[in-house]
Amino acid sequence: MASVSEHILSEFIDAWNAGRRPDVDDYLARAPEAEREELADALASFIVFAPTPDYSEQTLAEIRAEPIVAEALAATGERSGLLPALMRRLRERLGLSTEQVAGALVADLGLGEDRTAKTTSYLDRWERGDLASARVSLRVFGGLARVLGVSRDELVGAADLGESRVATVFRSTGRDAPESAPLLEMLADALETPADAAHDEVDELFLSGR
Amino acid sequence: MPGRSDQSLLHAYASARGRGDEAAAVVAWEQLVVNNWDRVKQSVKLFRFSPGGPCLPEDEHGSAASAAYLRVIAMGANFHKREIGAFYAALHQCVQNSCKDYGRKELRHTKRTAGSLDATYEPDGETGPYDRALADYDADLRERFRDAVRAERDALEAEQLVRWGIAQIPNDNYRAVLELTYGDAPLKGDEIAAQLGIKAENVYQRRLRGGKELEKILRGLR
Repeated sequence: MASVSEHILSEFIDAWNAGRRPDVDDYLARAPEAEREELADALASFIVFAPTPDYSEQTLAEIRAEPIVAEALAATGERSGLLPALMRRLRERLGLSTEQVAGALVADLGLGEDRTAKTTSYLDRWERGDLASARVSLRVFGGLARVLGVSRDELVGAADLGESRVATVFRSTGRDAPESAPLLEMLADALETPADAAHDEVDELFLSGR
Repeated sequence: MPGRSDQSLLHAYASARGRGDEAAAVVAWEQLVVNNWDRVKQSVKLFRFSPGGPCLPEDEHGSAASAAYLRVIAMGANFHKREIGAFYAALHQCVQNSCKDYGRKELRHTKRTAGSLDATYEPDGETGPYDRALADYDADLRERFRDAVRAERDALEAEQLVRWGIAQIPNDNYRAVLELTYGDAPLKGDEIAAQLGIKAENVYQRRLRGGKELEKILRGLR
């Protein structure tokens, strides 16, 4: 005789494989409390390697319309790639302000504490998507990775993913992306940099490229 | 490209990257991550900080899922594996890391140290629970194809990790049910029962018990 959780697991598997997009909460709620943990483990094990259902076009459209998915996919088309959205999430998960991240980054990079305000300004621009990631030194990526607790490659990857799409747009319009795109980025950054700001190592780190 | 399988999309992504067509790679990767949104979302809900331990607070599910999903998308800039099981394992690790990160935030608040950076990140957190199984799988492939021609190797490399794991399960009954559950055209429980000539109750039991065996194998605990 199969247990209740074995029944429920099997129902979940059938619903998943049929593309009905079952929610684990609904199934766990049906299990007796004593069996709930075992069912949660079994569901988790199944989901790791479960075959992805053959979703209909309508279902795929529904998935794309879900707020988190829509926001994430839109972020890959931003000027600085996926990175601003990821940076914000990573910072928020640590409960840190941009200024606190800047302070830690300044310390990590061995800069003077008086560079914190300017670094905060750059990080704020970057997180808003107003600073092209291609302009930022790999030293900053490395320091930021240590501060935010991820690998540098992950941050660089998030930046590059969107920027390859920007280059694609240039190619699709027949324009010469390799030459014009960096120049346009530099011009945009120059226009956004305060004229009275003294150029220092922070500017170098955030504007000189990798 | 609606309706394409994950394996097909991963191959399309890898092929596009191989020939330097980043635009096509991005399109394939995006479809792959759309296909796998539910896997991310449901995995976040099922995350536990330790076996049988606490899960994420419900109000953190959305943020954790969002962070995990962004990281899965970001993997597309530099993912080199061609085996879909490796993608699923990497996705799982992204979810685990993101959820643990939210746990770190909770811990900071609990310790009243929010805003400080006293706890450093541990890079070994990138190591996944399925790494050992993936390594064994790769080693098995290398052994089996040491003297094989390239074409044969390519064909067999497409064999999915999960199928390899199921093939390691000693119990014939568990294996038969799981093969029909995880196959390219998975069957429903009652269809499996009919095909194997067993009761539906047996299918339910073998899915859960066989699933536990598979989990052990893929985690390299056997």
